[in-house]
Order: sequence, then structure tokens, then C-alpha cells
Amino acid sequence: MLRLIVVRLLAAVPVLFVVSLVSFGLTLLVPGDIAAEMAGQMASREEVDQLRAQLGLNRPPLERMVAWYGGVLQGDLGRSILLNQSVGSAILERLPVTLSLAGIALLVAALVGVPLGLLAAAKAHKWQDQAAMGTALVGLSLPDFWLGLLLIWVLAVKMQWLPSGGWVPFSDDPIGWLRSIAMPAGVLALNQMGPLARMTRSAALEVSNSDFIRTARAKGLAEPRVFARHVLAAAAVPILTVAGISFGIALGGALVIEQVFSLPGVGRLVIGAVLRRDWPVIQGGLLLTAFVFVAVNLIVDLLYLWVDPRLREQR
Amino acid sequence: MIRGPGVSRRTFNAGLLAGTAAATLPLPAFAQKRGGDVVMAQSSPPPTIDAQTSSAAASRNISLHVHETLFARDEAANPVPDLAEGVDMAADGLSYRFTLRSGVNFHNGKVMTSADVKASLERYAQVGMSKIFMLPVAAIEAPDSKTVVVKMKNVFPGFIENLSSPRAPCAIMPEEECAKPAGQGGRIGTGPFTMGEFRSDSHIMLHRFDKYSQNMNYKERDGFAGKKTAHFDSVRIRFMPEGGARTAGLQTGELHVIEALDAPVAKRLESDRNIRSYTMMPWAYQTLIMNTAWGQTQNLSFRRAIQAALDLEEIMAISTSGLYRMQPSWQHPGTAHYPGVAGLEKFLKQDQAQARALLRDAGYKGEEFAMMADNTNRPHIDTATVVSEQLRAVGVNVKLSVTDWPTIFTARTKPEGWCMWPLLMGIEPYEGPYGVVGFFAGASPAMMKQDPVIEEAQAKLTTSLKLEDRVAAVKMFQDRMYDQALSLKVGDSGWIQATRANVMNFAPYRIPRMWDVWFA
Repeated sequence: MLRLIVVRLLAAVPVLFVVSLVSFGLTLLVPGDIAAEMAGQMASREEVDQLRAQLGLNRPPLERMVAWYGGVLQGDLGRSILLNQSVGSAILERLPVTLSLAGIALLVAALVGVPLGLLAAAKAHKWQDQAAMGTALVGLSLPDFWLGLLLIWVLAVKMQWLPSGGWVPFSDDPIGWLRSIAMPAGVLALNQMGPLARMTRSAALEVSNSDFIRTARAKGLAEPRVFARHVLAAAAVPILTVAGISFGIALGGALVIEQVFSLPGVGRLVIGAVLRRDWPVIQGGLLLTAFVFVAVNLIVDLLYLWVDPRLREQR
Repeated sequence: MIRGPGVSRRTFNAGLLAGTAAATLPLPAFAQKRGGDVVMAQSSPPPTIDAQTSSAAASRNISLHVHETLFARDEAANPVPDLAEGVDMAADGLSYRFTLRSGVNFHNGKVMTSADVKASLERYAQVGMSKIFMLPVAAIEAPDSKTVVVKMKNVFPGFIENLSSPRAPCAIMPEEECAKPAGQGGRIGTGPFTMGEFRSDSHIMLHRFDKYSQNMNYKERDGFAGKKTAHFDSVRIRFMPEGGARTAGLQTGELHVIEALDAPVAKRLESDRNIRSYTMMPWAYQTLIMNTAWGQTQNLSFRRAIQAALDLEEIMAISTSGLYRMQPSWQHPGTAHYPGVAGLEKFLKQDQAQARALLRDAGYKGEEFAMMADNTNRPHIDTATVVSEQLRAVGVNVKLSVTDWPTIFTARTKPEGWCMWPLLMGIEPYEGPYGVVGFFAGASPAMMKQDPVIEEAQAKLTTSLKLEDRVAAVKMFQDRMYDQALSLKVGDSGWIQATRANVMNFAPYRIPRMWDVWFA
């Protein structure tokens, strides 16, 4: 297993290199820079050029690129121009918000979506199946920003059950944290629940026609036990695959959700950096996102080995 | 000598924002209540908290609670003394002698002296966002601890207006803070609140400065000057990009003050007894900047065709959701440099037949007309959309490009590739004529090509000691802008700030001021 981890981490190096190269290329292609944002809309070209020189933005691209990679190799992602803070620390400060948002969303999506998929498979082509898949489809189809605003109006403005936005750190107030994350995580979870429920149904249906399932039924096992113990275990690999992808999508969805609910996460940091052309933050943010994707894929691969003994034996 | 109220006060500007005057009437003293934590929301975080180095409204909202300036603007936008007792301008206009207020405390406990003021002004000349107004300064001297003398290379009558502008405030900070490079200073000032925790995409905390030195030359709050009293224990300014979430926060009571409310939302909330909205008119004006150095807009007949083709009121009505007024002058009525509107009537009426005739005169054959707008500011994109349709109606082949602000900025500073773009000018007309005229003059004018008459107007404005001569210069500028259609003024737009009903004595202004305000 250690060999697998090392090999996968080594394989991630060229992926991260390509991501960083592409992000650096984009910084050269996209017009505008942070000096325009800082100078203000009435600033003259001379004022902006002067600010650009002060910030070192007029250095040749190659020189900037070599300096940035040199820093990355030493674990330094650069310094945010706007925040006046190292990119690494800016991201690390916000990572708990984004990871907890995406993590809780995935947990809720799994806790609802997987049983929903199993129910649909167990009652295939009956009304329960239609209802479960209809629910999944609704969750999948609703735009998260729209659903977010709708929930703010209903749960915050009308019912006054939850705050309309903002973030309370867990260490400050666990109840406040739960209240602040409930709505945004719920919106993200509803989006992720759909694919999980549909994949669970599809995988469970495929497995439920297998010989060993028929054997389990022939032995007299109750249907819920057949599904919970045998069908789910055999369908776990494709479900895990979708869950891994869902986590990645949830991280992407967090960009929008963090804006709507004013959460200080990595998504909001990166969006703000894109809008203001704070290149070190954009590059650092993209690199980190790519790394999280690689890490999630690695974790999913490790979970494959845990849930499917055949894969362990093959290795 | 220019001094505070009650002394021999000379005003530089008068009457702006008269509509807010009623809202500033103080409540009886017994109604005031100390304490509480107020939460305010604004749409974006400040690009920097270094007050001197940013002209962004998001920075001003914060820094003007923390920092003060030698002169500041009063409720009607006139320059009045703040950290200075007053100033003596030499008869030849070549030196300003500032007398400082005594016993003014910085947030670090130090008492302000002329050395701090001198260092702050010198820092501004190096890194200040509007440092161009410091160019005529030859030397800054501190002959004693209460006096600062600014010597000029040449006459610059706009010096006090610029020094007092809140745009990128010339904040006075301790001498040792002034050594910090651009973007890294700005945490220590003399204002009624001190700066606390700052999380760039979440919030900033301001705390009441209990050793704040009130300006006893005044009886009450007056614009950014006056006798300021901080009642709240703290001000939490949250950065909330989503307008719907900000409104929801105000409705639920999680927020007490929001810096901006859309006109349709304000109308919807009229019946909500928990919310009060405050309208300011004028707040800004919408303009259409032309490129006279490139494309069809090089041609005077073509520019005049645009001028004739546009229904200005329709543009304003749509782009402001009804919160506008039609006022053609490039200065707000009631201000010191207002040149009147005589002779402008003929430029204001839409005449599509004339527009088509002018297009024919210009030899226009349906070539692409490059218009651009940014999607950061809704009035910009709405204005561009309506203008595009009105121009298409007379046969102009408009190609509208919508991008984000940094892209537009880069494009608009290049002399080619664009013909027109909309720009809402807010703080500049509030400041007076210098920023407005200066934007279209100098080495890099907004319309890309210097105009000799505009240059002459700028020269007269920036060197004439007599007010009437400066007003004449503004009139010269305004007449030339209309006659040559160098750029167009569309109309004035308003602004709405809103609070919970329990926020007492709030008066709208260029920023939501959290001093002299308290909870019921």
C-alpha cells in the first residue's frame, strides 16, 4: 500500500506541473492586472504603470515564472499582492472552511443519496423508484446559487431559523458553526445527492441480478439485509468512484456557495483573486485545487482496496 | 485664515448634498446611548487598508473611521479643518501655514505633532493614490510642534480641496508608520475607531477609541469633519458579495447597516417597519467616454451623431432603476464651481433624423463601432446595453464587448481598439472640478487625444486664485465637452443606504458613518 501511495504521489508531480504551467500561461493571456484594481477607475495610464513597476509586475514573464517555480520548489507559493500575506498561509487559513463545507456536503449527500439509490433499486420500476429518482433529479437540476438564495429567503428571512450567511469557526462556537454551515452544506449536498443516488441504483440493480445475491435470497435472508450486507458491498466500488468525483465537484460548487453565503473559504479567495488579477493567489489556489483532486483520487483508490478484497489480492 | 465653524470660516464649495441636511439634525442628547456592536455590510473587501494608497470605496468605508486628515469635507462637501485648527494661505498662493489641533491622540498612545504631519504628507507625495496634487509642493516644513508649512512651486488653488478629499485620503499617521511602503501602512490613525481583526474575505473589526480627541471647534458631526462621537463599542464590517444575502441579513437583523440598496429592493422594503432607507441625490453621474484618437469617434460629425441619437433620460431610467435626475452640468448645482447650464439645451434632445444626417456627413458606411463595458458595475453594463440599442436604431453597427474591470481598464488606456465606454463618476464630482477636468486633460486624457481648449481650461482652473476665474474655466471645459462631443454626460444617479430601524441618528453620506449613531 505504501508503494501505491508513493507511486501515485510521484505521478501527481507532472499533473501539478502541467496545472501550474497552464495557470501561468493564463496569467499572460488574460488582459489586465492588479495595478488597475488598486489604482482605481480614474487613474491615468502613467499612475497605473508606476504602480505596476512598484509591484514588480513589469518584469519579463520568464523571470517571474523562474522566480515562482524556484519558490514552489522550496515550499513557497509566493506572496499575495492584495492581502500582503504569503499565499500558503492565506490558503491554509481558508482551507478548513472549504474542506468542511465540501466534506459535510458529501457526507450528507452519501447518507441520503446511497439509501435513496438502494431503495430505488430494491423497488425498481415501482412508484418508490420513480419518487426516489425524481427527487435525485430535482437535486441534480436545481442551480445551487438559486437554491441558496431561495433557502436564505425561506429559512433565514421568513422562518428566522438559520443565519443568512457568514461563518462561525467551530473553535469559537460549535452550535454557531453548525448553524452557519447547515444551509450552504445542505445546498451543496442536494446537488451531490443526485449522482450518488443514481449511481447507487444502477450499481445495485446490476449486482442484484448476480448469482451470489440469488443465493443469499435462496438462503432466506430478508431483502433489507440482502441489500445492506451484500448488494451494497458489491456495488461499493462504483459508488466510491462517484463519491470521489462528487467531492471534486463539491469543491468546485463551493466557489459559488461561498459567494452566496459570504463564507471565507478558498473559493472566495480564488474568485476575488481572479477578479482582481492577484496572480500569486490564483496560481497557488489552482495548484492546491489540483493537489486536492489528486489526493481525493488517491484516497478513493485506497478505499477500493479496503472495500474489495479481490483488488488487495491482485496487488 | 480658514478655520472651523464659529471662527472666520471660508468655504470652498457649497450646497452639495443639501438633501441630507435634514437627516443630520441631532437628536436630543438624552437619547444617545453608548455601547453595542454594530454590524455593517459592504459588497467587497478593501483592496488595501493602507488609506493613502487606495481610492476604492471599499477602503474608504473603513479607513475614514480610523483615519483623519488636516482638512476634511463637511456635510455639503466643503473643505473644513479637521486635524488642523486652520490654515493661512499666503497672498501669492505659494505657501500654506497649517496650525494643528492640540492634544490629538494616535491609536498607539502618541500625541500628534507637526513631525507626524510632515512625514504623512511626504509619504503621500511618494505613495498616495492621488499624489498628483502634491506635485506643485516644493517643500514641507515643521517650524514648531504645532505648525506645518507647505511651500508650493507654483500656484495651485485646488490644494486644500485635494488635501481634504476622501477619495484616497491624505491620512495623518505617526511618523514611524510613514516609513512603511505602499500597502503596508494604515493601521494607526487618530479617528474615533481603531482597527482590529481583518480577514480580507470575511470582515474587519473596528473598536471604539476611548482616548479619541474630539474636535471641539464643532458642535456636532459634519461630513467627514465635525465633533465625532463613537457610541458603539465595535463596528464589524462584513464583506458580502451577494446583494440578496446582504438584503436578507438586514431583514433578519444580522446586519444593522448596508452601504447600498438597489432602488427596486428599497421599494419592496418600504413597508418593512424594521428597515429605514436613506436616499442621496446626486451620488454620481453617468458618462460615456469617447476615444477621439481612433475609430469612427475621431470624426466630429460621428460624435455629434451619437449625441443626437441618444435618449439620455431613457438610459438613466433603465440603468438606475428610476433613481436619477436629468442635470446636464459637469458640476453639481449648488457647488462653488457650478457653471450653470446655459447654452446646453440644444445638445440634450434626441433627434434621430439629425443623427442619421450626421452619420451621412461623417461618411459612415456601417463599419463596426467598438463599444465596451465592464460587468462589475451594473449601471455600466445597463447603460451600454441601452446605448447600443439606441445607436443601432439609427443605423450604427455596434459591437458591444462586456468583460471584467481589469480587462476594460487595460483596453481603455490603449489608444486604439475602442470607441466608447460608460463610466459612472461618483467621488470626482463630489470633490469638485479638479478631478473631473483633470480626467480629460494632461498627458493621458480620458478621450486619448489632447484637446487644446480643454488644456486651456485645465490650466486656468489650476492656476487662477479667483473663484470666478475658475468657474469660467469650468464653463469653458463644459461648453467644449458638449460642442465637440468629446465625451457625454448622461445624467445624475442616486444612492440608497439602509439601516435597521433601531439605528438612531444615521445620516447618509459618501460612506455609512458609524460615529454619532447609536442603538435605540
